[in-house]
Amino acid sequence: MPTLPLRSWQVGFFLAALLFLLLPVVLGGQWMRIFTSTACFTLAAAGAGFIYARLGMVSLTQVGLMGLGGWITLRLNHSTALPFEANLAIAAIGTAVLGMALALPALRMRGLYLALVTLMVAGGLEILFTAYQFPNGGAGFWGVGTSFAAEMRRPALAKTDAAYLRYCILLVVIGFVLIEWHLRAKPGRAWALIRRSEAAALASGVNVTLYKTWAFGLSGLLAGLGGGLLAGSLGLLDASTFRASESVLLFALVIVGGARSWLGIVLAAVLFRVAPGLLNNWGVDADLALVFFGAALLHAVITAPEGIAGQIIGLLSRLRRRNRGQA
Amino acid sequence: MIRLENLTVRFGGLLALDAVSVEFTAPVSGIIGPNGAGKTTTMNVLSGFLDSKGGRVDVEGTDLLSLSAHARTRWGLRRSFQREQIAEDLSVRDNILAMTDHSRASRADKRADLERAIEFAGISDILAKPGAGLNTYERRLTDLARCVVGQPRLIMLDEPAGGLTRDEAAHLGDLILGINDLTSAKVLVIDHDVDLIERICTETLVLDFGKRIDFGPTRSILDNPAVRAAYLGFETGAAADA
Ligand SMILES: Nc1ncnc2c1ncn2[C@@H]1O[C@H](COP(=O)(O)OP(=O)(O)OP(=O)(O)O)[C@@H](O)[C@H]1O
Ligand SMILES: [Mg+2]
Repeated sequence: MPTLPLRSWQVGFFLAALLFLLLPVVLGGQWMRIFTSTACFTLAAAGAGFIYARLGMVSLTQVGLMGLGGWITLRLNHSTALPFEANLAIAAIGTAVLGMALALPALRMRGLYLALVTLMVAGGLEILFTAYQFPNGGAGFWGVGTSFAAEMRRPALAKTDAAYLRYCILLVVIGFVLIEWHLRAKPGRAWALIRRSEAAALASGVNVTLYKTWAFGLSGLLAGLGGGLLAGSLGLLDASTFRASESVLLFALVIVGGARSWLGIVLAAVLFRVAPGLLNNWGVDADLALVFFGAALLHAVITAPEGIAGQIIGLLSRLRRRNRGQA
Repeated sequence: MIRLENLTVRFGGLLALDAVSVEFTAPVSGIIGPNGAGKTTTMNVLSGFLDSKGGRVDVEGTDLLSLSAHARTRWGLRRSFQREQIAEDLSVRDNILAMTDHSRASRADKRADLERAIEFAGISDILAKPGAGLNTYERRLTDLARCVVGQPRLIMLDEPAGGLTRDEAAHLGDLILGINDLTSAKVLVIDHDVDLIERICTETLVLDFGKRIDFGPTRSILDNPAVRAAYLGFETGAAADA
């Protein structure tokens, strides 16, 4: 199932390789962090995007699930001697399991009702994070101590900030490949049928419960991975990063960027993390970004159902066709 | 042999199926009746999308209602929908492939099965087209190909000729008659096109307001005055004029 007309995966790999080589070289301190966190949010956005584009379901919990992944990673880092990779893997799996639990309401609900349930879960996570904060090396189950800042281990391969950015870009690529691999195989066909209608899926022998659960699990896995990576980047996490409103904003930006393609997902994460940073740099209130995003969302909903990515791709294929016409 | 016993479905105050019993034995059988008679509802009960209040369905010795909806498909139940349900995101090929995904057949068998279905429906030139780009006829043909893969035992077609031209409908009728050469499945067809039903169905069930009005060889039920009154009312009128 080709996602985009332009041999999109080749372009994607090329672009990722370029970012992998260049970004860590050209970016300085603060921006290195911003792009690392962009990579982390790309993973979460990818989960929200494929659930929306391929199954037609809305999940507004992705950023909250990132928080859960971050929490588990920090907790394991401070209380065990396991290497970063192991903590990250456990966090991703743990988040995937919660993601699957989220699928339970999805089995009975559609559309707005499902969106509201996932939003309530995001709200619940927000309350938990605000009440208990993130582990920083303190004692007890919650692992929070005042003025603690225990060391956060990083992957053996990526001790420096530059190497860590590359590590994150690599995991984003793996995340996209994982989704694409699903889409081209049995689960992708089952999801496409579920999106058409549940009756169509059942009439094709699809176990709807299993494949919905699977989709939410995969989406949760990606969010958990993103959260764990963010924890590794910053060493400390703050509850305000994982508010329910952030989940809603990220989802809205996925629509703006274009949920159906990897390009749209990357654009969403860039808008989410980089745009506010840029505005800050220019001395403009970063909250103005929200106004801009709102306008962009209206634009996407009204005139560009495939998002900015769809418009770019449409433009490129028109150019290509014109070139071919001249040749 | 497909035996329906006492199927009853109620939507609030509406009795959509009222203790319908029938036994189909022909390779291709029909269900006809005016709008809202309960034809699609009958298929929805067989598919597992609706529960019958009491009643039984026995297909070649299998108690169909005891299986979950997706398990019925794996058992060999196939159906097309009145409003076709081709997945827009999938190519024609993937739409058919999705049907074989959940069977236990070997990869090679599945591929051979797929090729056979494609040839049967005559759609080899549109295999790569995305579902979203298909016209009505292509959708109906794809639906038919989906129904014949994976060792079907009972194929139910809900208005397969809906939205087709006369010629297209006639060709579809030929294909439906050809199903018996390709598979050993029994076929149930709903359609408003009485000519089509008369041509392809040996036996036909007539429903009206959820009740069984008549059942038997298609030729003879079409001559039944009660059927003509219920379903072909305009023809009795025409006969009176003559
Ligand atoms: N899900 C539902 N909820 C409520 N009423 C329903 C539902 N499905 C069908 N009905 C009603 O049940 C009756 C039988 O519907 P059904 O779809 O079986 O008719 P049909 O014989 O297939 O008609 P048509 O030729 O128009 O397709 C109709 O009155 C219909 O409005
Ligand atoms: Mg009907």
